[in-house]
Amino acid sequence: MRRAAAAALAACLVACLPAPPPAPPQVPLGLPPLAAPADNPPGAEKAALGRKLFFDRRLSANGTMSCAMCHVPEQGFTSNELATALGVEGRSLRRNAPTVLNAAYHPVLFHDGREHALELQVWGPLLAANEMANPSVGHVVARIRALPDYAGLFERAFGGRPAGVETIGQAIASYERTLLSGGSRFDRWRYGGEADALDATEQEGYRLFVGKARCASCHPVGERAALFSDFRFHNTGVGWRRVYGASERVRVELAPGVFTEVERRMLESVFEPPIPDLGRFEITLDPADRWAYKTPMLRDVALTAPYMHDGSIATLEEVVAFYDRGGVDNPGKSPLLAPLGLTAGEKAALVAFLRSLTGGNVAALAKQAREPGASGE
Amino acid sequence: MKRHLAVPLSAFAIAVAAALAAAPATADETCNSPYITSLIKGQEDYVHVWTLGVEGVGDGSDKLVTVGANPKAKDYGKVVHTLSVGGRGEAHHMGFTDDRRYLWAGRLDDSKIFVFDLADPAKPKLVKTISDLPKKTGYVGPHTFYAMPGRMLVQALSNTKDHGGVTGMAVYNNKGDFVAKYDMPIGEMAGVKGDGYGYDIGINPAKNALLTSSFTGWNNYMMDLGKLVKDGEAMKRFGNTVVLWDLKSMKPQKIFAVPGSPLEIRWSLNPADNWAVVATALTSKIWLIKPDAKGEWQAREVATIGDPAKIPLPVDISITADGKGLWVNTFMDGMTRYFDLSNPEAPKETYAKQTGKQVNMVSQSWDGKRVYITSSLLANWDKRGEDNEQFLALYAWDGKGLKEQWRIDFTKEKLGRAHHMKFTVKPAAAGQKG
Repeated sequence: MRRAAAAALAACLVACLPAPPPAPPQVPLGLPPLAAPADNPPGAEKAALGRKLFFDRRLSANGTMSCAMCHVPEQGFTSNELATALGVEGRSLRRNAPTVLNAAYHPVLFHDGREHALELQVWGPLLAANEMANPSVGHVVARIRALPDYAGLFERAFGGRPAGVETIGQAIASYERTLLSGGSRFDRWRYGGEADALDATEQEGYRLFVGKARCASCHPVGERAALFSDFRFHNTGVGWRRVYGASERVRVELAPGVFTEVERRMLESVFEPPIPDLGRFEITLDPADRWAYKTPMLRDVALTAPYMHDGSIATLEEVVAFYDRGGVDNPGKSPLLAPLGLTAGEKAALVAFLRSLTGGNVAALAKQAREPGASGE
Repeated sequence: MKRHLAVPLSAFAIAVAAALAAAPATADETCNSPYITSLIKGQEDYVHVWTLGVEGVGDGSDKLVTVGANPKAKDYGKVVHTLSVGGRGEAHHMGFTDDRRYLWAGRLDDSKIFVFDLADPAKPKLVKTISDLPKKTGYVGPHTFYAMPGRMLVQALSNTKDHGGVTGMAVYNNKGDFVAKYDMPIGEMAGVKGDGYGYDIGINPAKNALLTSSFTGWNNYMMDLGKLVKDGEAMKRFGNTVVLWDLKSMKPQKIFAVPGSPLEIRWSLNPADNWAVVATALTSKIWLIKPDAKGEWQAREVATIGDPAKIPLPVDISITADGKGLWVNTFMDGMTRYFDLSNPEAPKETYAKQTGKQVNMVSQSWDGKRVYITSSLLANWDKRGEDNEQFLALYAWDGKGLKEQWRIDFTKEKLGRAHHMKFTVKPAAAGQKG
């Protein structure tokens, strides 16, 4: 009897103790440890459910858009085919779709940093009238609850909790936290002890990156890991230029190698005028933040063209040339930007280095994204 | 993913032969599938206009608008019927079934296909909505509806994976059941790489030849045109090819480099001819597709439309029944142009008139005496402000000039954006007109 009571007590103690925190997910070489929120620990079922939601076009108002339509796995989880994104019915967005790869590390989200957690960020595109255009949170919840292929999935992934405002965000965030890209050739060279993982040009590019070219001022590289972003907001002049420095004529490629020019004024009077965009200022209302945007991470940068917050620069070569010129002068320009005086060889080395930042697992992540079960269609 | 379902298209060949034997003429209002029966060579009674809903205009929904077209009728030039299908999904093109009883109408955004019964053409009825194109094929944007015997060949514009331009064709039976899909080619054939894009379909049964052209994906056709022109990356994503397919096997035979987004394909309707023309939207050219002296199909540029540097944007074209003339609408300048096609190797513009501030579709009657014009290209490509005229207009053509007969203001009538047109006749008269 006493023995049985002791056993019961032991069982109770085990059962009543708080569960040990799940082990942090393994991260690829070159990435720092990743901590998930205490109320949304990692879970395979949650991530699988999140993937299904991420690819489900039924989650937009008219069934045409999913998260993945702008964050295309085969295009670096962004869109290589658009400078700025489109939403439901082709409604215009003013900014370039950022990659979802390693988004889990961003302390604040969106180019202007207006959101603070992946779990919350999800609802921005779902509800924005020019993105997925759902009329309300309740509408999304009700739609998912009514879809037969979601029956029981939330309950199984969330310990009995159904689809709701929290669990939908948690599921998609859980999937996004699996999209960790690392183990690039740079990582193997810098953190993996493989001295020949980068060639001489790429190594020279790295030295320039942290040295003469001063890229690491905003895209820092740590001793044990690198995220290549200070996650702060800087005015490089790209946003200012759209307002004050746009050229009067637009060069248009009609077919490969066939160009013409049209007047910008005509385009913007007959068609949609530019959408105002003041960057971080729209969140802080601090004039110092006008046309300032969050520093992007540079991992997988070779896969995520076009560049800058508005997709206005097509190639890495042009990006390097832009910074070599010191950005675009304007009253609020970051003091970190100044002409660099790089030689042609140095600029080429920088580009070569940037191309070495493609994650060793990124192709696998894209492939996994398309495995069966992703889409509701 | 290339998944060719086994389709007995060879059966088409038999049916094709039967259809040809029964129908010596090969087209209706000059731009239909050659497999369509009950051709109208005389006076049409109705024009059906597939109309895009506009937020704040009427009920805001896409609708089929039926307009009286017979000058002897009381309803001549009047809207006689409207049928809203609900919501806005980028209504675009339509096509009759081979028996001409049903009209299929597609939406490029939500990929729905609406099937209207035209038993009473004055009052079309919606009898089926097909919603499974994306699920069955991975394609979105059903554009061209091209009748085949007992079936409908549907050319899509985009796909569910990335909303880019890689797409394909789907076959449905006349009941609306999915039968098969055919991806547009992306490999290289004789030195020309396929872009995988799609737009129009044109079949010449006698030559066992199916031609397809190439436009762009959802990302671009749904984007504001001004934004698109300024987006260098997006402008790189237009089709630059025409593909010749073996009709019986539905396999691509040759890819032609036709840069600048070749759109509408028109085979000459003259039985003695063996050529087709296609106009390129961005580069403003007419291309001729015709066998060379060795019998090898070739494509070559034969004419320029307007000033290509100004991007006039040639959109719809309409070939005359004898294959001697071609109407070309250019969207940006609102011009309706007539090209003399007597020598298809060297078409010449012989007439032009501005018919609107923006014009897209042009459909002529079989006898060439009546030319209908509509205004809307795509919801987000149409102009804004005062230039955003939305209309259906009828012009009379006497070989020398276009004279406006009537014009219906689709905004004033709270209808929407007027796009594709199809003609019908009252049932009692159909036999006489065929």
